[in-house]
Amino acid sequence: MLDFILLGSHFTESEIPPSNLPYILAAFAVSWVVLFGYLFYVNRRQHEVKKEIAKLQNQLDQTSENEE
Amino acid sequence: MGSFPSLKATLASITGVMMLVDLYLIFMVAPTDSNLGHVQRVFYFHVPIAIMSFLAFFVVFIGSLGYLIKRTPKWDAISNASAEVGVVFVTLALLTGIIWARPVWNTWWQWEPRLTTTMILWLIYVAYLMVRSYAPSQSKGAIYAAVVGIIGFVDVPIVYYSVVWWRSIHPDPVVGPFAQADALDGEMALILLFSMTTFVFFFAYMVAERMELRNTEDALGRIRFALRRRGR
Repeated sequence: MLDFILLGSHFTESEIPPSNLPYILAAFAVSWVVLFGYLFYVNRRQHEVKKEIAKLQNQLDQTSENEE
Repeated sequence: MGSFPSLKATLASITGVMMLVDLYLIFMVAPTDSNLGHVQRVFYFHVPIAIMSFLAFFVVFIGSLGYLIKRTPKWDAISNASAEVGVVFVTLALLTGIIWARPVWNTWWQWEPRLTTTMILWLIYVAYLMVRSYAPSQSKGAIYAAVVGIIGFVDVPIVYYSVVWWRSIHPDPVVGPFAQADALDGEMALILLFSMTTFVFFFAYMVAERMELRNTEDALGRIRFALRRRGR
């Protein structure tokens, strides 16, 4: 069982445990990709829906004109 | 809902600035952990992201109760947006946890209580979104989803208390009622608090974005309905 205790410590560089840099980069990269990927998806969908609204609104207006 | 663009712009600006400061604090100011080394910095993203998923599902719980009592679409829209954003956050909590576990536990995954209950939480809210999608009508989907949103919330305290009830490989809570006062160094605690505040703004921004999309989709639904009534 690993029971780590988070301590702020002031070690010399040689005493610091391995940095595991690829894991840090991976964790932060995954976070950014997922968060911005989701925001990108929402914005794209918003754009598509607005385009469809404009198209259908046109059709609706034409129907109204024809009925008049 | 005409104030959405300005609200979104304000939230986006605050989030952007705070996120830059947060990254500076995490990589330049936060002390290096004596046991884990630099990889512990993942903690400043992993913990706030996990807490944001709890917040999201709490909002779903409140929104679902509100919808079942009042039956107004506003409550359903809040629940829907929050559930989707919550699934994004809980997915990220699992992913960042997996990446952090590899160098620290020497394994990607363990079927231990915290990870297992979090996985169940993910499945519950994915089911929430599926129930909504596959329902025969939007109103029925909203009712079914509200029921799942209320019952599913039971898993949130189970996830939090899992490390207290069943001791396991996962560390004890560092925030909330069961956090030990000396669990974190003062500087680390302050940076964690800042990171958490940043993610609260990020969460609010994402929910605002999703709610605006929902409003637009509802407007599309109304136009389609009007066209159908005119026989086109």
